Amino acid sequence: MDFSIRTATLEDCKDIARMILELAEYEKVLDQVKVTQKDLEQDGFIKNPFFHGIVAEVPEEHRTIEGHIKVGYALYFYSYSSWKGRAVYMEDLYVMPDFRGMGIGKALMSKVAQLGLAAGCSQLNFTVLDWNKPSLDFYLSQGCTDITASIGYHCLRCEGDKLEQLAKGSA
Amino acid sequence: MVDTNFKMSFKVRAAKKEDCKDISRMIMELAVYEKMPDQVNISHKELERDGFSPNPFYECLIAEVSDENKTKDGYTIVGYALYFYTYSTWKGRSVFMEDLYVMPDFRGKGIGKGLMAKVAQIGVEKQCVRLQFSVLEWNKPSLDFYVAKGAEDLTAKEGWHFFRFDGQALHQLAKEAPED
Repeated sequence: MDFSIRTATLEDCKDIARMILELAEYEKVLDQVKVTQKDLEQDGFIKNPFFHGIVAEVPEEHRTIEGHIKVGYALYFYSYSSWKGRAVYMEDLYVMPDFRGMGIGKALMSKVAQLGLAAGCSQLNFTVLDWNKPSLDFYLSQGCTDITASIGYHCLRCEGDKLEQLAKGSA
Repeated sequence: MVDTNFKMSFKVRAAKKEDCKDISRMIMELAVYEKMPDQVNISHKELERDGFSPNPFYECLIAEVSDENKTKDGYTIVGYALYFYTYSTWKGRSVFMEDLYVMPDFRGKGIGKGLMAKVAQIGVEKQCVRLQFSVLEWNKPSLDFYVAKGAEDLTAKEGWHFFRFDGQALHQLAKEAPED
C-alpha cells in the first residue's frame, strides 16, 4: 500500500488527538489522557513549540471505515545530553492496527531519525513498557539499545501535589 | 576544607553564556562520579551554542556561593541543574531535568534541593504538570534523595525502559527514511 509521510500542520491536531486516544487504549491507560486537540494546537504550533509531529497518510481509496486517511503519527521533541549534546526524543509512535506490517511505523521512525540528524542530534531516545513485546521486538530489530537493561537507567517522575510541593520548596 | 556544619548561604540563578566553562567543568565532575568520564563528548563551546540561541535545546540554573566560601581552586559556582521542556501526549507540558549536581564539599546544605525546587517552580510557572529525570539504579544516595522529594520510580513501578539509537544504528535508520 502506498503511503506518504509529512510534517504535521495545525489542521492535523484533530487526527493526532484521535490517534493519541487509540494509542492510550492500546497501552491500557485511556482514562489518563488529559491532552486535547486544543492543547496540541496551542503547544505544538507556537514560537518555541513543546513538540513536533509527522503524520502518515494513505490515498483516499484506502481510507478507514470512518473515512480517515491519516493512519499514523510520530510526535517528537529536541532534548539535550550533557555528555553528547543535541538529541531527539520520540514521545509517541503509532500506526492504526489495520495499517501495520506495511512499513509505516518504520518509515515514521526513520523520518524522526533523519530530521534529528539534520538538526545535529547524535541520539534518538524513547521509552517502551517492558510488557509491550511487539514494540520491544520491533525496536530491537532496528538496532537500538535498551539502556535500562544495559546500564540500569531508571525513569523517575514528580507530578501533581508532589510537584507543587517541590516547587514551593517545602517537600 | 569546608566546615559542613557551617550554615552557608547560596544563590540559585539562571545560567549566563559566561557560565558555560563552569558548567562544563561540573559536567565532567558528575561524569567521573557516574564512572563514565570518557563518555563526555561536548565542551563549553557546544553548551554556549546550544543553550543561548533563539530556540535553545536546554536551560540551566547554577548555584553560587559567596567569595569567602569559594573552593580551593577558586570557584564560586558549586552546582547546576540542566533541564529542557518535553511533552507528554497524555498530560501535556513537562520538564525533564537532565543533570543535577552539587560539588561534594557543598552537599548537605540544601543546594541540590534548592536547584531542583527552582526547576520545578519554573516548570509549574510554564504550566508543566510533570518533572521527569533519570537515575542509575546503583546510585542509592540519589534515588533516596529523589524519592524523599516525592518522585516515583517509573521503571520499577510500571516497567518503563529507556531505549536509544546512536552511532551507526542511528545513521542506518535515518537512511531508510522515505523521500519527501
